[in-house]
Amino acid sequence: MEGFGYLMQGFAVALTPYNLLWCFIGVFLGTVIGVLPGLGPAATIAMLLPLTFKMEPTGAVIMLAGIYYGSKYGGSTTSILLNVPGESASVVTCFDGYQMARRGRAGAALGIAAIASFVAGTFGVVGLMLVAPPLARFALSFSSPEYFSLMCLGLAMVVLLAGKSMIKALLAMLVGLWIAGMGTDLFTSTSRFTFGHAELLDGVDFVVVAIGIFALGEVFGNMEVREGAQMLPAPKGLRNLLPTWRDLKDCRFAFLNGSLVGFVIGVLPGAGSTIASFISYGIEKAVSKHPEKFGTGVVEGVAAPEGANNAETGGAMVPLLTLGIPGSGTTAILLAAFILWGLRPGPLMIQDNPTLFWGLVASMYIGNVMLLILNLPLIPLFAQILRLPTYMLYPFILGISIVGVYSVSGSLFDTWMLAIFGLLGYAMRKLDYPSAPLILGFVLGDIMERALRQSLMMSQGDLTIFVSRPMSATMLFLAVLILLAPLFRKANALRVKAISS
Amino acid sequence: MKSRYGVLAAALLLAVAAAPLHAQGFKPSKPIEFMTHTGPGGGGDVFARGIAAAMEKEGLMPVRMQVVNKTGGGGATAMAYLVNEKKGDTHIIAVFTGLWFTNPIMRKEAKFTMKDLTPVVRLVLEPAMVAVKNDAPYKSLQDFIDAAKQSPGSLKQSAGSLGSRDWIVRQLLMTNTGANWAYISFPGGGERIAALLGGHVNMMVIEPQEAGEHIRAGNLRVIATVSDKRLPAFPDVPTIQEAGFKIPNVPQVRGIVAPPGVPAEVVAYWEDLFARFIKTPSWQKYLADNMFQDGYMRSAELAKFGDQFSDTTREILKAGGVKVAR
Repeated sequence: MEGFGYLMQGFAVALTPYNLLWCFIGVFLGTVIGVLPGLGPAATIAMLLPLTFKMEPTGAVIMLAGIYYGSKYGGSTTSILLNVPGESASVVTCFDGYQMARRGRAGAALGIAAIASFVAGTFGVVGLMLVAPPLARFALSFSSPEYFSLMCLGLAMVVLLAGKSMIKALLAMLVGLWIAGMGTDLFTSTSRFTFGHAELLDGVDFVVVAIGIFALGEVFGNMEVREGAQMLPAPKGLRNLLPTWRDLKDCRFAFLNGSLVGFVIGVLPGAGSTIASFISYGIEKAVSKHPEKFGTGVVEGVAAPEGANNAETGGAMVPLLTLGIPGSGTTAILLAAFILWGLRPGPLMIQDNPTLFWGLVASMYIGNVMLLILNLPLIPLFAQILRLPTYMLYPFILGISIVGVYSVSGSLFDTWMLAIFGLLGYAMRKLDYPSAPLILGFVLGDIMERALRQSLMMSQGDLTIFVSRPMSATMLFLAVLILLAPLFRKANALRVKAISS
Repeated sequence: MKSRYGVLAAALLLAVAAAPLHAQGFKPSKPIEFMTHTGPGGGGDVFARGIAAAMEKEGLMPVRMQVVNKTGGGGATAMAYLVNEKKGDTHIIAVFTGLWFTNPIMRKEAKFTMKDLTPVVRLVLEPAMVAVKNDAPYKSLQDFIDAAKQSPGSLKQSAGSLGSRDWIVRQLLMTNTGANWAYISFPGGGERIAALLGGHVNMMVIEPQEAGEHIRAGNLRVIATVSDKRLPAFPDVPTIQEAGFKIPNVPQVRGIVAPPGVPAEVVAYWEDLFARFIKTPSWQKYLADNMFQDGYMRSAELAKFGDQFSDTTREILKAGGVKVAR
């Protein structure tokens, strides 16, 4: 048990008062920026980086990592209370979280989000500790054809996210794919759908689309209601402030699902936490006994994606620390920070710097406990925001949405784009188009197209590359199964009917 | 304390700078906006924040440098901002990269070129290396080229976008040797390395910093460097030219520009400040940590370099079948 000894050493490092303090500062800052929409962990870490030069590296790494996983905890808060995704990964939490808040269960939703984050976040750290080197090899065997098939699997989730009309869901998804296609084509460096605007050469930012469609769409939709009667019910009584025992029991599978899916997808450098939360939400709905209730405020619909986006951070640390390969903007800036301190993440890091690696792992266990303790008492406080009358609440949402978007790019152009997407969200709501498939298409479209073209370049145009590689073939098969699931269900219903009559 | 350092700095300036007369004319009176076209954490952003932190540590400036991110358009948004909103503003400078030259050549949406801005200084040259997996049969660049000639189109290079430095190196090598291999674009450096390490592609033009640990661990092998001279960290690896390929070296540059219409004395201030800055231990350490090479050039030289660089790039793009916008 060499590893156990190292872990104990790691705790000895992480539990020094100095490092405990940095861990707390990190997770606290992470929670705060997670709650604020727009400003994300990558920007925060970049801005704090110069301040850490004077610090001892272990403390600095512990703090910056704390910001990273702490932000995932905070991201759910505004998703649930205001339908404003605080981080891109918590857009899925809006689906059921906000509906729970509308039904007076905001406290329970926030509580289950915190608990799911804790369970899955801790699971992610365990995974990082136990299986980092072999998993890194798995991540390397995953290449463009596998990413393409994984995206197909994700896109097949549309049948699970569709509301009443499959046609409308597919149309919304196509719009999402179209928006994903805007910008510069990576392979030929030509512009697509930029309408002559240089601002669109890099495509549309996820934050703009998600906040526009969800938050602004919601605000515009509610502005129609002239009398202030539409106030959101504030949670009453302790029972509604925290999840009940039953909620926890209902979420047993969601915790496991979110943890596993989040961690495995986190290990893949080309996927990301938004995709992880979508897939775990889809799986949760697919295996649920009451799939029809998803989207109306079921507690598993919050637990699965929140778990997934927290387990993802543990997963993302695997390629970062063992290969020096960042999978997202935040891990890229963490990598830059490591290099500035003279630490070299890569195949030899665990061997060369055991104190730092195990100290970081131990601090992540401690940080997750801190986050749970920090977040649970904040729930009643945050839930108070729903006591605001609508004429104050909606301008407030509008305000933080605009500030959030502006803080990302510093450009007014994006603010106008936000308004456009707000109107689109409003129109979709009026015409009863579901917004989840649009976001799904938008998130997956870019990676999917890229992976398809990369694969075909690798195989010199041979399509069998997708089925001749076992992992890719398995995922494609699963995608087909999901697509056919509604037909099976229909056939089954008919058979039951036939038998009973 | 502060003022004493100021005096000290001024004394140093007089002692070190060759042209102190017009440099005396300008001194920043409020915080300097230091703009980059990448978001927080991107290459230009880390570079700008590194400079700002080192400036502060070395106490070279009377005011702070505030990093501002103007993202979008592959630098086009930032360039347009300098021209349209900041013309003649003496308290803003920006980090440029090679993209600021190539993007306007390829994209008609980009309204302005580097010629619309005021060149200030060139600061660094980033070398690169041609790397293969350690178990690959190619021991030298010649081996790779020979293998590519034998089965045209079947070898693969994991790379960035069309028009980037690794693309230009490939174009030059292919034209020079008649070999041909596939160029597979990945948006992030991490994915490119993952594809190489996983054996899904055969070669990559990689930054020394990115490759260092994998070479030390024995996962990657370097067969040539893309640089004017050999890299201190890899004394046994020849440059592409030394390996026998007569192609021009393709530099990856970073430096500083100012908005149009900035007085000459302001440019001179920056030239002298950065001339002193690059000699500081903080900056020397930064260069060594990142395996960058010093590429300092004053404004007039930079302007000449820029014209040449743009012309060469345009020709290579055209020869590679890319539609150029200007």
